[in-house]
Amino acid sequence: MVTLDEIADTSLLQKPFDKTADLLERSESNYKPLDSFALPKDRQYQQQFADIYFLRLAKIKPAVEEVASAAWEGTVLGGETATKVNRVLDVRQGQLCWVAGTVYMDMPLKPSVLEDVSKDRWISAPVTADRYYCENGGESIMLEDDSGRIRLVGNVLRDYFLVTGCIIAAMGTENVNGEFEVIDLKFADLPPQPERWSLSKPFSSGAIKKSKVKDEDVDMTDSQPSKKIAIVSGLEFSGTDTSYAMELNLLLEFLLGEALDPSAQSELSHISRLIIAGNSIAKPSDHESGFTTTTSTTADSKKPQKKYGYDASSYNPLPSQLLDTFLSTLLPTIPITLLPGTFDPANASYPQQPIHLAMFPKARTYAPVPGSAEPGWLDPVTNPWEGEVEGWRVLGTGGQNLDDICKYVDSEDRLGMMEAMCRWRCSAPTAPDTLWSYPFQEDEPFVMKECPHLYFVGCQPTFGTKLIEGPQGQTVRLILVPSFASTKEIVLVDTETLDVSKVKINA
Amino acid sequence: MDTYNRFLAENVLTEDKVVTYRFLSRALQVHVNSAKQMLYEFHRSQNAKRPGAVHATYLVYGTKRASDGPSASPNGTDGDIDMSSSAPEVESLTEVVPTSTLSLVPEERLKEALAEYDEVTSVHVYSIGPHPAKDMALLVDAANQVLSLGTGADQKRLAPIINPRVRRRERQEAGLKAAAAATAAVKMQAKPGSSEPAQVPASAKVKEESKPAQPVQETADKASLGPAKKFAPPIKRGASSGIMQAFSKAASKPAKVKKEAEAPQLAEANGHDSNMQPLSDDGEDDEELPQPKARSASGFMSKKEREEALKRMMEEDDDDEDETPEKEDTPEEEPMEVEPAAPEPVKEEETEVVTAAANGRRRGKRRVMRKKQIMDDQGYLVTIQEPGWESFSEDEAPPQSKPRTATSSTPAQATKPKKGGPKGQGSIMSFFSKK
Repeated sequence: MVTLDEIADTSLLQKPFDKTADLLERSESNYKPLDSFALPKDRQYQQQFADIYFLRLAKIKPAVEEVASAAWEGTVLGGETATKVNRVLDVRQGQLCWVAGTVYMDMPLKPSVLEDVSKDRWISAPVTADRYYCENGGESIMLEDDSGRIRLVGNVLRDYFLVTGCIIAAMGTENVNGEFEVIDLKFADLPPQPERWSLSKPFSSGAIKKSKVKDEDVDMTDSQPSKKIAIVSGLEFSGTDTSYAMELNLLLEFLLGEALDPSAQSELSHISRLIIAGNSIAKPSDHESGFTTTTSTTADSKKPQKKYGYDASSYNPLPSQLLDTFLSTLLPTIPITLLPGTFDPANASYPQQPIHLAMFPKARTYAPVPGSAEPGWLDPVTNPWEGEVEGWRVLGTGGQNLDDICKYVDSEDRLGMMEAMCRWRCSAPTAPDTLWSYPFQEDEPFVMKECPHLYFVGCQPTFGTKLIEGPQGQTVRLILVPSFASTKEIVLVDTETLDVSKVKINA
Repeated sequence: MDTYNRFLAENVLTEDKVVTYRFLSRALQVHVNSAKQMLYEFHRSQNAKRPGAVHATYLVYGTKRASDGPSASPNGTDGDIDMSSSAPEVESLTEVVPTSTLSLVPEERLKEALAEYDEVTSVHVYSIGPHPAKDMALLVDAANQVLSLGTGADQKRLAPIINPRVRRRERQEAGLKAAAAATAAVKMQAKPGSSEPAQVPASAKVKEESKPAQPVQETADKASLGPAKKFAPPIKRGASSGIMQAFSKAASKPAKVKKEAEAPQLAEANGHDSNMQPLSDDGEDDEELPQPKARSASGFMSKKEREEALKRMMEEDDDDEDETPEKEDTPEEEPMEVEPAAPEPVKEEETEVVTAAANGRRRGKRRVMRKKQIMDDQGYLVTIQEPGWESFSEDEAPPQSKPRTATSSTPAQATKPKKGGPKGQGSIMSFFSKK
């Protein structure tokens, strides 16, 4: 409870006086992006998707088996000792055993490519189903590897989140119906975690001194309060919906440090980097999209007049212009990492490649110099993205991976699903089954080889955060970054403690 | 001192505008924090004279009472409350984190708004206007006025938080320095990335020396840019007279050669581009004086040149378009024509039936193979090819008469039109020439 009297003597509610304001210097951002999810420029899409599952199984299976044998080796149940079976097909009826493989979920509402083919649908529309499960059951869970698959049954399955593509080990017996009655499940659990500063080096105090501007008074040398990074998602700059435009304005002023009073401004100057986690541009409104579909159908019947450049009647440049203005206003004071999201102008399939800089005529002057090793001041990155910020290994996505998992599971426990992803060691298990993905051949980048310190997922309905721990003492800070357009919230992460706070903006 | 009073009186009282602190700060070139105080003082003094003369909105920042924050359940959002089903119910609860709230409130509601706060870290006047602010969304326009004023230079001076480490790439239009210095840069960057470390050990003395020099060089740069731009195109013209040449008779071949010659040049330009160094604030690499004249030599293309290249490309595009139907024709016709003995020369003719020919453009039908996909009685998809007739008209390119005669004469030459794909460059000329 604050009353008017209490704020009466605030410094900014006074007559202006002639005092030169201090110049605050923004904290330096220590940043090293990794291109784990970058695709080759000349990629092709002729390959089959099976290799992804093969590679994923090959990478994670040893870890799962290790966990499983540690837990189940020598387990005796009903006078029978559990034995390891190497392949799914080698499971013998009535024999107590355990086997590792990939989960496949068959669900009533799940889109199926076989169905599309049989119904002669050749153009794949974006998946519109908001869930794959069905209240009255009808789903079946299978375990498969390169030899075959077996149906899993048992009550224990309900205690875990399971989605297509995650690698598990299951112990149990095959019953007379040829189903595998599961007694217990194991996951690979968190991968080994690198030390802090494993890829980049902290700035020594000498380096800070050197790069300092020769201003009159910069009293930042001794007291080094911890820095922060700001994460925001779902800015959704729109050409038609202006209901949250004022909040976006306030966000801009907040991050610039122009709003608020000197003490708060000095606090804000410690925000060393802004990460935008997807959906910077709003979903095209129904009107717009309807319009474009009609034009495309007429285009089929009549050859349209050839045009260079975009067609102004079907394209609204305003959202990207607004985003460009937003970025170019912020960039002089803060470096930005930009992840694409579902609605952003990038490819639709995972991993999404960086938004092309041609979208940002003003902001692109801050972009990386092609071919240089130094990351850009404005760094358009892939989604998912991995990097090291202030020495911490950070993994972030624009949210599609989690949204897709949510369609499998009748639960709103998104933090739990994030945790499950870490324990499965897979950041996008449902790719390529229901989450569109590039058909990888050589490598499966969604496997978490190293455990991140900070894992954030953008464009979520609500905020959430949690700290999880692994068997070898790994700790991961999980953050659900809410969509700004609907919640008006941004997330600040302390770069020393990885503590999270948030800022809500009400206009 | 009182410039702000006059400015605000003019804008708010006379012109009925809403003025935000950012706008005031940009307009009067004062620090944003001073601007906030000015707004406050103006608001106070005016309302002392005449209550209700101006209305303010306040920006309040602090922590709100905890009551309404964390208790909001995460599954109340989309009405999806069918949690009774068999799904795992172990909700991993989110940690409660400190939340700061930034609110924009009109002065009428300031008291209530403050009552919601536990602690206010900062409060200041956001804007003042002649009328009470009903809808905060309407402030957007006022807030966006800043865009009409603000330039980069202003912002740097007025922004409370500066970032000396900002790196930006020089725009290509203005970035002559890199092009001019390209040769030097290439030498410097024999080992990639070596230039950066090289700059670091540069002593502060050098920095200070080069700093004052920079603006001068930049202006000189700009000055020389103008004439250079004008000169460049004529020089280019002399070398190859651009588009017009494409239309001249003998052009197709030289143009082609030129294009090929240009390609490496372009690549070279790109190469320079990628060697372009980030603009250093301290202007250390300004020793390499910009030499606009060296540009043409270094293969850096001026805007004019690039436009021409684009035009040429578009032209080529058109040619390609013309060629494609022709290419499509040939494979279809070929097999039939090569079919030995030509027992029915009539059939050969019938691959194309011209119903009308005017001005050298023809309409008619031609025979094509169509792919058709059907589902057979067993449910398999079968793709069959069947011949069909397709009408064509002047929209599509006229099939060339010359190759046609050639194909009908000898099968050996029949393959020629196929190979002649690239040669088709000149096809547009043959179209214009007399039949």
